[in-house]
Amino acid sequence: MRMFEAAGHYTIRQLEYVGGLAIQFWRGARLSLRVNPFSGRRLRWKRTVAQMAEIGVRALPVLCLISGATGLIMALQSGAELRRFGAMDAVINLVGTSMTRELGPLIAAIVVIGRSGSAISAEVATMVVTEEVDALRTMAIDPIDFVVVPKYLAMLVMMPALTVMGIFSGILAGGLFTYFTLDMTLTMYLSRTAEILLMRDIVSGLVKALVFGSIIVHVGCLEGFRVTGGPEGVGHSTTNAVVKSIFLVVIADLLCTTFFYFFWR
Amino acid sequence: MTGPQIHGSNRQLPHEAGGEPLISVRGVRVSFRGRRVLDGVDLDIYEGETMVILGASGCGKTTLLRRLEGLEKPDEGSIRIAGVDLVTASRETMEEVRRLLGVSFQSAALFGSMTVGENIALPLLEHTDLAESTIRLMTKMKLQQVGLEGAEDLYPTELSGGMRKRASLARALAMDPKILLFDEPSAGLDPIIATGIDQLIIGLKETYTITIIVVTHELQSAFLIADRICVLDQGRVLAVGPVERILNDPHPRIQQFVKRIPDDVEHGSSSYITGFQ
Repeated sequence: MRMFEAAGHYTIRQLEYVGGLAIQFWRGARLSLRVNPFSGRRLRWKRTVAQMAEIGVRALPVLCLISGATGLIMALQSGAELRRFGAMDAVINLVGTSMTRELGPLIAAIVVIGRSGSAISAEVATMVVTEEVDALRTMAIDPIDFVVVPKYLAMLVMMPALTVMGIFSGILAGGLFTYFTLDMTLTMYLSRTAEILLMRDIVSGLVKALVFGSIIVHVGCLEGFRVTGGPEGVGHSTTNAVVKSIFLVVIADLLCTTFFYFFWR
Repeated sequence: MTGPQIHGSNRQLPHEAGGEPLISVRGVRVSFRGRRVLDGVDLDIYEGETMVILGASGCGKTTLLRRLEGLEKPDEGSIRIAGVDLVTASRETMEEVRRLLGVSFQSAALFGSMTVGENIALPLLEHTDLAESTIRLMTKMKLQQVGLEGAEDLYPTELSGGMRKRASLARALAMDPKILLFDEPSAGLDPIIATGIDQLIIGLKETYTITIIVVTHELQSAFLIADRICVLDQGRVLAVGPVERILNDPHPRIQQFVKRIPDDVEHGSSSYITGFQ
């Protein structure tokens, strides 16, 4: 009996969490319209640009490094197998399509979760603990409008941008491999990659980037808002944000991949 | 030992003038995990009045203040501010009520990523169409008002505890609120700085027709700034009245608090109190 009770409580808690996430997402999306440099609230635009620098620009070097390394590893691993079948050319296809469809967005998401997802959660949780969120509410400023929306918009712009840069770094690293093993020039490698990539590959990569970005920012903020237990709770919320973001990103990746597999062949 | 210092004046106190209270609390009950924190609180606060909510730690002062600020709703009862019931108010109405309020938090709650000037300018940028130059000027004025001239470019981490409280007060004053709420304004400050904050509150009360609500357990502060004091104990209002009345109230718990007599850990508080009855 206890087991059913515990399972029931757990289910209710998870449903409540998903509900909270959905409400925050909906309100965030609605309030995003108020952010524009011409007629929106003055501070929102400035905060959005600052967040873009934080989420996007500062993550670029490490993302390019990791994506490049992944592209090279994939080329080396697949090259080792494909060489046996005399199909070294297929390395270009493999690196190009898997970086664009799958690994580019996923690596960008993992880097952004590690850098920004945890930072977002810690920042929001600290604001809750130090009564800054209460201060916003008493000033008749909606915390979702002031705290979440700039981060959300910055993420929507920077996540696809980072993904594109990550994909490019991975493909470029694959080019290094073909240069040394196949004597293929970089121009030839890039034009071959451009030939094999389909619009579907690029669109699915960018859609995933947008979905992953939304998950990272909303999970980070929600974990921050739900912090309990004072300063020590900040650490817990950061850990929860990272773990839940990775889990939800992988689930979302599976759903997106399934969708594109069946509906856009 | 001298008696408590009372900020005396011969002015008629707002509650003596009668009329409708600006804030009316009726039958407010709040429980946390089955523990009753507020148990049927009734309180009227009149326009222009300085009401100090006094009580020991854990008596429900801050819980009541958070309901007055509209941050949380009571489990039962009603809280009316300027005729609006906060319990049933819509989000839009609630925002309008909040624009009447200025809140100075116990931890100051200044935004760490913004300078003091940006903190004070925030409500003005959010709720007005004033030009940035006007907002800058107003920010300087508010800082001057709380004795923090020239601090606009400093970050909260560069301020002392007392300065942070003053900056928080300047932000609370930014929108010229009708009601100012203070949560433990002198907590964690040395007596000199704490008295400075008290003087600041007295200055505000004398300069503006502003309703001030202060939650504190500091007796000296309470006696100095209050028009009336509401004594809370274990979630209930023990007495409401001017300072002299509270000082002379025969209720044992109030006398225990006023005379700073500790609870008897072994036998409960009553054994200490009997001597004063």
